[in-house]
Amino acid sequence: MRQHAGALNRTCLVILGILALAGGVLILLMASGTLQAMNPATVAAESPVVTGDLDAVFGPASAKAMVLVAGVAMGALGLLWILAQIPRRNSADRYRLHQDPASGTTLCDASVLGSAVESQINTLPGVVGASALLRGTATEPELAMKVTVNNRADIQDVLHSINTRVIPDLATALETPLRRTGIQLEVSGRNAISGTTVETTGTVVY
Amino acid sequence: MNATAAAAGSRDLDSRGRTVLDRKVLEKIASQVASEESFAGGSSGGFLGIGAHSDFSARPRVTVELAGNIAVLSVEIGLLYPVPLRQATEQLRRRISERVNALTGVEVRQVDITVTWLKPADEYAGRRRLL
Repeated sequence: MRQHAGALNRTCLVILGILALAGGVLILLMASGTLQAMNPATVAAESPVVTGDLDAVFGPASAKAMVLVAGVAMGALGLLWILAQIPRRNSADRYRLHQDPASGTTLCDASVLGSAVESQINTLPGVVGASALLRGTATEPELAMKVTVNNRADIQDVLHSINTRVIPDLATALETPLRRTGIQLEVSGRNAISGTTVETTGTVVY
Repeated sequence: MNATAAAAGSRDLDSRGRTVLDRKVLEKIASQVASEESFAGGSSGGFLGIGAHSDFSARPRVTVELAGNIAVLSVEIGLLYPVPLRQATEQLRRRISERVNALTGVEVRQVDITVTWLKPADEYAGRRRLL
């Protein structure tokens, strides 16, 4: 139901990996002397890399300020990366279902549609509980569901009902096919909700 | 002769008096028109809006902004699930505009619709029913 920063992590790790690999290759070339053979202006193997006076470089206040700013920027980026790891629901806000706003707007909260989906899933035999979350836009909606069934439920039957009734009904309501659908199934020892239903058309005589 | 007749007609119009239509009248008419649609409903019960529940037999809540003879309506409505929401609300918008205009003479410029709940026809499925 919640989204993680998988794409961001992969991108950042690829960039960091390329930088680390480039640094490692450079150090290996320097240590083996290959770099100096390729370019005599570079330092020789087993000789100090920095030969000048470092104090002259980092002495001025401007250099210290630059190092400080760079450090703070890197720290902030790292902090943002950590914060991006918090799982987010990223649910849609309100779906705009009007075509011509001049004649009036039509708004439907995504949670209203989610509640309708939940109540429909809750009527399926064997379902103990359900929660539904809509993401995306009204023209490209995405549906994520968490369905809890009891340990006697026919899971294939529940999935079949969701695929043939619940998802098509939502597509009918939004008048567009769903772009993506996710179902998370859990099994619980609780009784199914529909197990308490009493459907009758007859008369009860006491 | 014509001037005399016109003056008499003007006096006749003045003597009829004025008809003032309250904003609430428009709200109730629009609300009733909306509730006549089989797929639409409102909320009932509760106290000061707390504890109200969705009800297909209740009238949807309508608020009207009037500017002269032009009205802008805001409708909070519940709909049957699953109906095509765009088609249903467009049908509702058209019907409210036509009926309010026909019954009151007020031109309905906009009808803003907010869907507050969606409920399947077999709303009692999954619950205990009182016999």
